[in-house]
Amino acid sequence: MILSMQRVLSTEEITNYALDYSKKLGCDDVSILGYQIDESQVRFSNNSITLVNNVREITVQVYLTKERRRILGSTFNPTEQGINKFIDNIFTSCRSLPQSEHYVALPKVDTRHDGRANFDERVKDADLVGFVKQAIDSSLGSGAKRVSGSLNTSSLEAFIQTSGGATGKYFSSEMLLNVRAFAEDNASGHGLCCTSYVSDFDPENAGRIAGDYAKRSKDPRTVSEGKYDVIFTPTVIANILPVASSASAFAIESGLSFLPPETEREIAVKELNVDDYGVYEGGLGGRLFDDEGLPTQHTPIVIQGIFKNMLHNSTTAKKFKSRSTGNAGIISPFPSTVVFGEGDSSLDEMIRETKNGILITNNWYTRYQNMRSGEYSTVPRDAAFRIENGEIREPVSGIRISDSIPRQLSNISLISRERQWIKWWEVSTPTLAPAMLIKDVQITKAVGS
Amino acid sequence: MDQDLVSYAISEALQSGCEYAEARYQKTSDVTCLLRNGVAEPATMSDAEGIGVRVVYDGALAFGATNRLTRQEVKEIVERIVRRAKAASSSLKERVAFSQEQAHVEKWSSEESKKVEDVSVDSIIALLKDIDRGLQSPIAGVSFPNRMLFLGWSIDEKYYENSDGSKLQGRVPRAAYFCILTSVYDGRPRTVSVPAGYSQLGGSGGWEVIEKLNLSETIPAGAKEITAGIKATERPPTDEVMDVILGPNVASLTSHESCGHPGEADRILGREGAQAGESFLKSDKLGMQIGSPEAFVSDDPTIPHSMGFYKYDDEGVKARKRKLIDGGRFTEFLHNRATAKVFNINSNGSSRAVQFDREPIIRMANTFIEAGDWTFEEMLSDVRRGVYIKSFMEWNIDDKRLNQRYVGLEAYLIENGDLKEPLKDPVLEITTPKYWGSIDARAKDVEFLCGTCGKGDPMQGAPVFFGAPHVRLKGVRLGSR
Repeated sequence: MILSMQRVLSTEEITNYALDYSKKLGCDDVSILGYQIDESQVRFSNNSITLVNNVREITVQVYLTKERRRILGSTFNPTEQGINKFIDNIFTSCRSLPQSEHYVALPKVDTRHDGRANFDERVKDADLVGFVKQAIDSSLGSGAKRVSGSLNTSSLEAFIQTSGGATGKYFSSEMLLNVRAFAEDNASGHGLCCTSYVSDFDPENAGRIAGDYAKRSKDPRTVSEGKYDVIFTPTVIANILPVASSASAFAIESGLSFLPPETEREIAVKELNVDDYGVYEGGLGGRLFDDEGLPTQHTPIVIQGIFKNMLHNSTTAKKFKSRSTGNAGIISPFPSTVVFGEGDSSLDEMIRETKNGILITNNWYTRYQNMRSGEYSTVPRDAAFRIENGEIREPVSGIRISDSIPRQLSNISLISRERQWIKWWEVSTPTLAPAMLIKDVQITKAVGS
Repeated sequence: MDQDLVSYAISEALQSGCEYAEARYQKTSDVTCLLRNGVAEPATMSDAEGIGVRVVYDGALAFGATNRLTRQEVKEIVERIVRRAKAASSSLKERVAFSQEQAHVEKWSSEESKKVEDVSVDSIIALLKDIDRGLQSPIAGVSFPNRMLFLGWSIDEKYYENSDGSKLQGRVPRAAYFCILTSVYDGRPRTVSVPAGYSQLGGSGGWEVIEKLNLSETIPAGAKEITAGIKATERPPTDEVMDVILGPNVASLTSHESCGHPGEADRILGREGAQAGESFLKSDKLGMQIGSPEAFVSDDPTIPHSMGFYKYDDEGVKARKRKLIDGGRFTEFLHNRATAKVFNINSNGSSRAVQFDREPIIRMANTFIEAGDWTFEEMLSDVRRGVYIKSFMEWNIDDKRLNQRYVGLEAYLIENGDLKEPLKDPVLEITTPKYWGSIDARAKDVEFLCGTCGKGDPMQGAPVFFGAPHVRLKGVRLGSR
């Protein structure tokens, strides 16, 4: 293999080339998505940088149909020869597949996409090492003894060409800082800063929050199993209330969602509003077009507690006798940017209103016993505090939330006005989330020691 | 494979002043077919191909990757990561160094008879349809109206060199089956899988690993087994201390979650602190008594046809079996060359990267509770009152690996050595020392399941086996959902 003699095409060139090549083969529908991504990372632990990382990639996603047979592929080989070989291979496989009952032609699109999602060209050259030093120093200054974390930046150029006429590109960027501070082995705090813009990036604040939580978490106690009123920070809400991803029509139809197969049903308290945006202006990331080339849009999912809209691609829209919401995924639609509506409360008010409760600032490892009923458990990690008669008491640890999503949606008592952008290990879709006070949350813990 | 570019990357890094360099060309190809309620969704095929380069410059570790396979691009990537390593090195409080290891030159692969790349997507879908036919009609009064069946294969090909002189070319094909079903009984929908616990079946090698599973018969038979749990209404006893027998389906995951993960040396040293977490074990706790004399757990990448099979890790270290818990004592941690240097030992070859654009990190391969000398029937006959949790669905564990939970799918009350009525959702929520300390019997019947282990930032899902025989826990208390 002498790849160095093959010309590496630009992402735009390769997207155009792949469409032309697929058409020449006789494909009925073609969607080509090209991504050029430049990712940088600085990881740190024990107050020291442990890795600097830079990845530059071009990837090409190819969707083909022939006589109602459908196939989806992706390749990392950005050369003419590589694309020819890859498309030949998947087209051969496509023709051997059974015809699909779910086939729907790609939509006709006359939009030329050209613009920016949330994008800042300065992200690519940001001083990551300097930012990380600020986060570590701030965290140590707030009471941490050890600080770990990662700062990830990405700059994305996305291109599309479809046989339905969609064409164009957009740019997007992200800066994601995740700080975990330790005041002692059993006392840790978590801070995030997630933005698309260098001017909004505040590593000191994320470090300070993590360090302060860690300092206040020393000597944690345990609590009895039972039901508590629980205040969840935005980081936790973005993970444990997966309303938007569960609104994917594919997930609902496949039994992977707690949401009902009909809209206009009450699923939450009337104070809850959840929306999906293709691009949320001034927010985090986003996409201008979906995988079928349709422009993305604003789709209200929950309005005043009523389930209003599923998220659709063309295939699910046909099945549900609806219209695409610009959320393709070729196989399954997915949200682009999740936005929980703001409430009228504050964290301080939530604490004042709680007689016997717990404040949980972070969680991980959410798993389902039953996706249809929404029964799940998740493990709080980092700072958590018992609340008694409106005041924060001692830190607590060793507990688990074991509840159901529908029950929690019906027990939301207060929603904060202030919201925070969340994207990290446990939350893969950019999410603007508030804090919430939820009544009667089931708390369990391990038996034995 | 482009071996020249790999050598070129190392030579560029060394010329730039790096004290260590390695480069890995990796191509990962995979095909997955999904049959949903009897209808084929688009088959998915992908090729991820590129070069990853890792260097140590003045104690700073840097990694870079590209899929533009030209000398110019490789040169630029090396220049960029060396530049960033230099920038980071001035502020390091801990400098990275690697253990000295023997250099190896070898071409290796897993055993395969029927090459997976020769298996057509239409034949994969035909097999899925055979399986699906056995699930379309109600089984023992339980229907499965939603059925998502996945079957596919992957091939991982690598060419690796490092500045110590290792040159290794490896190939590991794999194949795996997985499903998520919605069962309905008495009007109640419930998520289940066969095998339970969202586990996979398969392994490394040719397509024969799938053919041996006889999926069109074993999956419907497995669905029939779990109907007892789906129909159960009786709650488990929660107010008494009793004996609990775990089936291999449950016990196998405990070896992974509460032995393998806490024994990863990078977690112990805090390097995964902000993502996958740390460990309740500390570096001076090697040899500590963590469990009963009946607790034996190993991790072995060299098991033929295992999902986590490899002969050399992604730092060029030869793979070998690791005895993690031996008679209740934690006797070995999982190491890469950096953590081995800190512990002043040799690496035990646990470093893997799942794709060309990911750094190698410490991973489990095939973790399992070693076989004992009991039979299941002997274990059962000893129990006056207890619970048999044969399989599970929900599970999780805290990020120090101390507080874990498994919620049963198929489970039974045990009275005077006999299985009685099925139980609904028994919850084993237990600390790690209590769990390993409660084991008083292990059966001979080790079974292995496949899974995808999540770790790293960016996330790397690594193919693994986890295995166990039936194990018995003495004197524990259960909860209920």
